[in-house]
Parts: sequence; structure tokens; C-alpha cells
Amino acid sequence: MMTPLRFEQTYEDDWTELEALLAGAVARKGWRSAEATPVSGARIAALYRRACEHLALARARCYPAHITDRLERMTTDAHQLIYHRREFGIARLRHMAAVEFPAAVRAHASYVAVAAATFLLPTIVVAILVYRHPDMILSVVDSETAATFESMYAKSADSIGRARAASTDWMMFGYYIRHNIGVAFQCFAAGLFAGCGSLFFLAYNGAFSGALAGYLVERGLSSTFFSFVATHSAFELTAIVLSGAAGLRVGQSLLAPGPLTRPQALVQATRDSAILLYGVTGMLLVAAGIEAFWSSASWLPSAVKYGVAAVCWTAVASYFVLQGRHAS
Amino acid sequence: MTPRLYAFLVDWIIRLFLMYAAWMAAAVMGGIGIAFALILLFALEWLYPVVFELTPSGATPGKRTFRLKVVMDNGLPVTAAASVTRNVLRVADFLPFVYGVAIVSVLLRRDCKRLGDIAAGTIVVYDRGAVSPPLIAGVDPIAPAVPLAPEDQAAVIAFAARAPRLTAERLDELAALAAPASGDAGRSGPDVTRRVLGVAQWVLGRR
Repeated sequence: MMTPLRFEQTYEDDWTELEALLAGAVARKGWRSAEATPVSGARIAALYRRACEHLALARARCYPAHITDRLERMTTDAHQLIYHRREFGIARLRHMAAVEFPAAVRAHASYVAVAAATFLLPTIVVAILVYRHPDMILSVVDSETAATFESMYAKSADSIGRARAASTDWMMFGYYIRHNIGVAFQCFAAGLFAGCGSLFFLAYNGAFSGALAGYLVERGLSSTFFSFVATHSAFELTAIVLSGAAGLRVGQSLLAPGPLTRPQALVQATRDSAILLYGVTGMLLVAAGIEAFWSSASWLPSAVKYGVAAVCWTAVASYFVLQGRHAS
Repeated sequence: MTPRLYAFLVDWIIRLFLMYAAWMAAAVMGGIGIAFALILLFALEWLYPVVFELTPSGATPGKRTFRLKVVMDNGLPVTAAASVTRNVLRVADFLPFVYGVAIVSVLLRRDCKRLGDIAAGTIVVYDRGAVSPPLIAGVDPIAPAVPLAPEDQAAVIAFAARAPRLTAERLDELAALAAPASGDAGRSGPDVTRRVLGVAQWVLGRR
């Protein structure tokens, strides 16, 4: 009769060997040393299958907990080792930038269109309103902040777009990274509330930018303001719109899951939009660099800035339209 | 849920400490120091959990302390996309006040997932630690008085495995429940306990 003790004794050799192989493989992965003894994948696979059989037997026969627990541990470890996907590295990053990101943006074109409209409409409407009735800026910000905006974009400012002259380019670089990527992530995550959150943050950020633009143009500061925002906005505004679009995709999966259950549709949507998040983060890093070191330089002639801005907008647009179309 | 809360607090304290150190350094270094401090703040807010979840342990230092780890729903190591998603969606879980949505979600669901976990297809699992085999010393094996179903055999062995951690009185109480196995139905006491442990020996395979 097969008692638990005999079961253990019979297969002890297999189990010890598998445990040793697994420990060796994990240690090798941790240290990344090439000189460690090579591990036989075929041997691990064979022992893994055998351990799965033993686990099924042990469960069916209600063997004591220490046996099933040991088998569960080794099968889980082997499962993780065998089916682990490697998805990092420079090659993968390059493929993402060259093919996956622009392709994902094209695949989500309708979401991008809705997100862009949600962002731009409030921008334009609020900009016109504030331009016509400058008092309305006070319904967006208080009077002190409005005065700060004016001094930030004054023609006499050493560095454009800064509340205090003492802040250095580097400091602003850090600030833009933290603030802008935070806003983008917020736009995306709020999509979990049936997409409403993404719509809200897109419209809110649009309205705020519109109010700022309308107010400064009315004050006659349009040349400093537009030469400041023209270049980095190619990356910054596009990235915010894309993160909102990813949020809308997530929201739509909850509202209209199609043939899937809602949780399945949600997992599918976040899996698809993760690539957009990577791209958005990259774009905002570029935008932060431009905004801190290039846009703010008041000694550069406006004509140069507008020229570079035109190049950047064209580059971003053609990147999304053309890049990676013929790759598999 | 409690280990998760403790793990979160440990991570929070680690991050607070790092941030404090960075601001001290920034105060000395000025402009570029503040830039690094701000970028570090960004990294601690968003990347800290992602970086640690993608290590072989699959857990932040706090989670590792309390033997928790993040895995995919199918038990595989968490993927980069899933880790980024579950941590970016922390923003939604954080609403409407400190992790309100997350707490409700974790309390309502059997699998204790917060929204980020549901959306990313990940789950936080708890490592119980290895189960030690039953050590029954100085008890002679006794054949069970009645045939024992597999579930009953497992129960008797589990009882024997717990024996070293129970008081003598509690051990006798529990043994009384299993007494029919050794033919002592209705009786209790140290002798019955010894006989039930003897049955456990026999069922394990010691003859």
C-alpha cells in the first residue's frame, strides 16, 4: 500500500534534483554570471511535469500538508522559471519607439480624435472668452496668480515662463518632469471611472491653458507667450492628449466590453494602452528638456523659435502618421 | 489585508526617508540639487514600486518584509506593462481620500484586489512559509480501529503536525474529537491522545 511516507521515499530523488536545479537557475539569474554550470532545460521540464503528476496524486489522496506544500512550491517555482517572459533591453526599447508606439497611436486614432477635441474645444472657447472679457481670468485663478502669469511672460523677463528669476534651468527641468508626467498619468488613471475622469482632466487642462493664452494675448504679451510654448507644446500637448486617449480606451472597455466580460475587457484595454503610457512618458521627458533649456531662453530671437517649433510639430505629426507602417 | 497595510507603511517610511535625504543634499547643492531632488521625487512616486516588482522577488521592500509579492493572475512573474499599469492606476485607487476606493475594493472582493490589480490582471499573494512535516517522537504506531477516509487520514496527520504547538489540555480536547479513529469513541485524556497520535503514525506509513 502507498502510504505518505513511502510516496515521499519513492520520489525523494526526483524532488531533491528539481529543487536543486531550480535553486541553481534562480541563483544564476540573480548573479548573471556566465561561468556558472549550465542548467539543463529539458531536465527541468521533465522533472516539472513529473512533479505536477505527483502533486495531483498527493491532492487526490489527501496526503499530509507538508507533502502537497512542498510539491506546490516546486511546481510554482518551475512554472515561473519556465514561462518567464523577458521583455527588457535596448532592442525592445528601440522597437517600441520605432514601431509599437506610433502603431498603437494609429490603432487608437478614434480615441485620440475624441481626446484632442475634448482638450482643444475648451482651450479655444475659454481663450476667446477671456480675451473678450479679461475679468474672467479671475474665475479661473486668483488675482495674485494672474499677476504672476503676467510677470512670467513679461518682455523684460530673463527667463520666460518662471515665477522667480532665481530658478535655474535644471530646477525647472526637474519640476516639469514631475509635474507634467504626473498630469499625464492622472489623465490616464481617471479613465477607470468610465472614461469621465479622463474627459474631465482633458477639458480642465484645456480650459486652463486657454484662459492663460487669452489673458496674456489681451495683455499684449502674445509674442513672448507663443514663442515660449510653440516648441515644447508639440510634445507636451500631444502627450497629454494621448494619455487622455488611453484613459478613454480604458473607460470604453467598461462601458462597452463587447463579447468579453467587463474585467477581461478592462485587462485587455490596459494591456493595449500600456505602450501609449511608455510613449507619453518618453515624449514628456523630451518636452521637459525643451521647455527648461530652450523655450525659456529669452535671448533667442522669436523667428528662430518659431522655425524650430514648425520643425518639431512636423516631426511629431509625421512620426505618428508614417513611422513603423511597413514593419511587421 | 493587514500585512498589505503594514507593507505600505514600511515602503512609505523608506520613501519619506530617501526624500528627506535628497532635500538635505539639495539644500547644500542648490539648483542642480533641487533638479535631482524633484526627479527623485517623481521616481519615488511612480517608479519605486515598478522597479522592485520587476526584480525576481516581485515585491517592494515593504512587501518582502511581510512575505507578500505581486504576480500575474495566472501565477507568472508580473510583466512590465502590468506593473506600470497597476501602479499608475494607484491614482484612481487613492480617490476620494487616502486609498478610499482601494480599501472598499479590497474589503469587498474575495481575492483582495484593488482597482489597479483588477485592471492590470495582477494579484498580491501571501507566502505562508514552508509547512514542516509532523514530528511525532516516542509514540508507537497503532492501526486505526475503523477504516479512515482520505480526508480523515489527512485530518489526523494535520492534528499530529500541530501537536507541538498546542497545550496538553487543548491537545486532549482535539484528540477526543478524533477518538473514534483509535476505537476510543466517547473517551478523552492523555492516553486517548497518545493513541490518536499513534494512529497518525500508522497512517503516515510507520508500521
